[in-house]
Amino acid sequence: MDQVLEKILDNYHEHEGNALTILQDLEENFGYVPEETVYELSDRLNIPPSRFFGIATFFSQLHLKPRGKNIITVCRGTPCHVKGSEKILSRMRMELDIPSGEETSEDRMFTVEEVNCVGACGMAPVVVINQQVQGEVNIKKMIKEVNEIRSEE
Amino acid sequence: MGKLLKLRIDGQDVQAPAGTNLIDAAEMAGVHIPNLCYLKGMKGIGACRMCLVEVEGLKAPVIACNTRVKQDMVVHTRTERVQEIRRFVIDLILSMHPLDCVTCTKSGVCNLQEYAYEFGLRESSFSRKKFTYPVDDGNPFVKRDPAYCILCGRCVRVCKEQGTNVLDFMGRGIESKVITANDMPLHESGCTFCGSCVDVCPVSALREADREQKGREWEFSRYESVCMLCGCGCDITVSIKGDMIQKINAGNRAPSTEQKFICAYGRFGYEHVDGGKRILAPMVRKGGRLQEVSMKDALEDLAGRLKKAGKNAGFISTASILNEDALSLQRFAEEVVKTPNIDSTASLYARPEEFQKSQKAKMDKADLIVLVGINPSQWTRVLPALDVAVRRRLSRKGRLITINSQETGLADLAELNLSGDEIQAIQGIIKSVPDHGIKVDQSLMKHVQEASTDKNMQQAAEIFAGSSSPLIISDPAFFDAASSLAGIKGHAIAMPLESNAHGVVRMGLKTRGASIQDMAAIEHGLVQRGKSTVKLLYAVGDVPLSKKPDGVDFLVVQSSSLTGLAGEADMVLPAATYLESSGSMVDYLGELKTMEQTIEPRGASKTHRDIFIQLAKNMGVTLKKPPFSEIKKAAGSQAGPSMADMSRKEGFQETPESYLQALNAPVLETSRLLWLKESGLV
Repeated sequence: MDQVLEKILDNYHEHEGNALTILQDLEENFGYVPEETVYELSDRLNIPPSRFFGIATFFSQLHLKPRGKNIITVCRGTPCHVKGSEKILSRMRMELDIPSGEETSEDRMFTVEEVNCVGACGMAPVVVINQQVQGEVNIKKMIKEVNEIRSEE
Repeated sequence: MGKLLKLRIDGQDVQAPAGTNLIDAAEMAGVHIPNLCYLKGMKGIGACRMCLVEVEGLKAPVIACNTRVKQDMVVHTRTERVQEIRRFVIDLILSMHPLDCVTCTKSGVCNLQEYAYEFGLRESSFSRKKFTYPVDDGNPFVKRDPAYCILCGRCVRVCKEQGTNVLDFMGRGIESKVITANDMPLHESGCTFCGSCVDVCPVSALREADREQKGREWEFSRYESVCMLCGCGCDITVSIKGDMIQKINAGNRAPSTEQKFICAYGRFGYEHVDGGKRILAPMVRKGGRLQEVSMKDALEDLAGRLKKAGKNAGFISTASILNEDALSLQRFAEEVVKTPNIDSTASLYARPEEFQKSQKAKMDKADLIVLVGINPSQWTRVLPALDVAVRRRLSRKGRLITINSQETGLADLAELNLSGDEIQAIQGIIKSVPDHGIKVDQSLMKHVQEASTDKNMQQAAEIFAGSSSPLIISDPAFFDAASSLAGIKGHAIAMPLESNAHGVVRMGLKTRGASIQDMAAIEHGLVQRGKSTVKLLYAVGDVPLSKKPDGVDFLVVQSSSLTGLAGEADMVLPAATYLESSGSMVDYLGELKTMEQTIEPRGASKTHRDIFIQLAKNMGVTLKKPPFSEIKKAAGSQAGPSMADMSRKEGFQETPESYLQALNAPVLETSRLLWLKESGLV
């Protein structure tokens, strides 16, 4: 971890305007923003830790908790909602044993998250599985997809 | 200040300097523009949208907090259109704000309540949203209750501007919340509990931890005083109900937020007035123990002893007593007891002349601050308000140079940090100044001929030469050098550790006969060893010593708390605290500040001056309470800066931290500030 931090730090100097790009680098390197790295960087760059946490919680691309190996994004836009995305979401959480209030399963295999709109309303309900957009999904289809991922592991 | 521009606000002609925003300009005309997030003196951010006004010629309403006055501008602040927007804003905020005004401590001063009342909104027309955020009440100072928060961002901005940087926003939209780093409780987040956020919170989201049921704002009587706990001497507003202090806020005298700050000591230390170490009655040592006696008996006995002692008597005082007390003490010693032996604790860390030479200046006029040999810090609690004042100045217009042979907290923010010997650095700067087109007096150049300069000093000289009003704030040890620099341009301040050092010295409490070191047998710092040169030692105020000096036959301690020294005294006289006295003091910037009495002196305690007057009477001499005109005259006396001797003054071996802790020990130990100590936060 220290080496990665050093590498990230090399690219920046003390300036609060850099906080977002630093956080993006962290996300890219670790898959999330580990808490201890924030305090370490805050110390080194003289940017208050509260600033880092403020930014990290503002942008949905940044995460403060480790994420799963496979990311399932359920669209919760209006058309998808009408087409039953809520049911898909809750079933996926159940199927993948994701504790309530969390997004990631304990074995860190899966993360199920919501997004406001992916911009593919014509094929609602939409789910993005590992960056692959899938339209007109239903629960049966989703379970099949999940099982395929599992068998590949 | 820019040139005056004419504009019209709600039909009234107003003249406002260029650069003024519309909220401030309207205020000049007596028009209040509603707002929830604006802070006078800080840049408007337009977060709350309450200050929207209509300007003729502009289609859409504009935010008044961030719109500057223009010549011939015509502004309407109460049109139907903007009132409708304001009503909508309040309606929205109310949908997620608890409507428990009946029990809310902020009722009466809550901005949200005020505007809801104005629009007649009993309840939001939107469905009620409720977040179950935990209340942060893990410390005895500040309670953080996010349920009340309206996300105006005032607290985040003050915390940030003063450099404490504890609070920030998290999340976005309706789920935003004001948090500390990683949403930890305040006491685990580096918070210093200064309470600046409490002062600016428009609602009840941030409040004093013990405010509940202690009284509503309209029940309080308010008094303007000055905190006397360290050299910063900050303005305070004290709220009283039933002769008890209910709370202390940063003083109201300063017009903008730039000057408003008090630290946790000033805000929460007041409980010591009724604390466990408070001296409520005179005491005399009988059979090895201090026993209560009447004031009359004590003063009669003491008058006799003082008469007999004459020149063998000596007076030492803290530099935290008020001007009136200091002048009375000086006269009492000189004219009644007739002893030249008077001195104050200011002589422990400075030569008193330095404070008398210190100039009068204004922080908000300085475009360059030079800190010499001092390390103010909110976190070590050494001169915290100075730390904040410097940081605020920097966030506006100021520049900073630090000159210190040791590491300082502010060096990180300085444009230039000269880390070598302070005197050499100043000499180097002075020597380089003429290279940048500024004339320097020959008599001064003579003293720096030998000095060597380096790149840093030359750069500092360039910055100095380019500034229009530099303010040099120096440890007294380097004051002569610092004031030589100010002799070229700007003002020089000798920074004291005690609140009224500048005042007591000007009132005449400075080494004349025996010094405080001689009288209290001080070897160095606060270490006492050897023999005193006086037989009767009279200590005034909470003098931070702990030993009755050898050679002293009779020790009188006139203080408000049972300090270490009072515990060894032969006679203890109960003195009123600064919160129980009216009078005046001179702050580090040379300003004479008046103080109101906030509560009655506890028990039999009396102000120092009243005790001296009574003692003088018992000795057959009439001593009058010094009239304010005399105080004013004495406080204004200022010795011109000297340009000669630029050596470092040695002698004080106590760190500012340990000295201030010793000085404030009674306050720290008998108020909720004790929690800081117990939690390892001081």
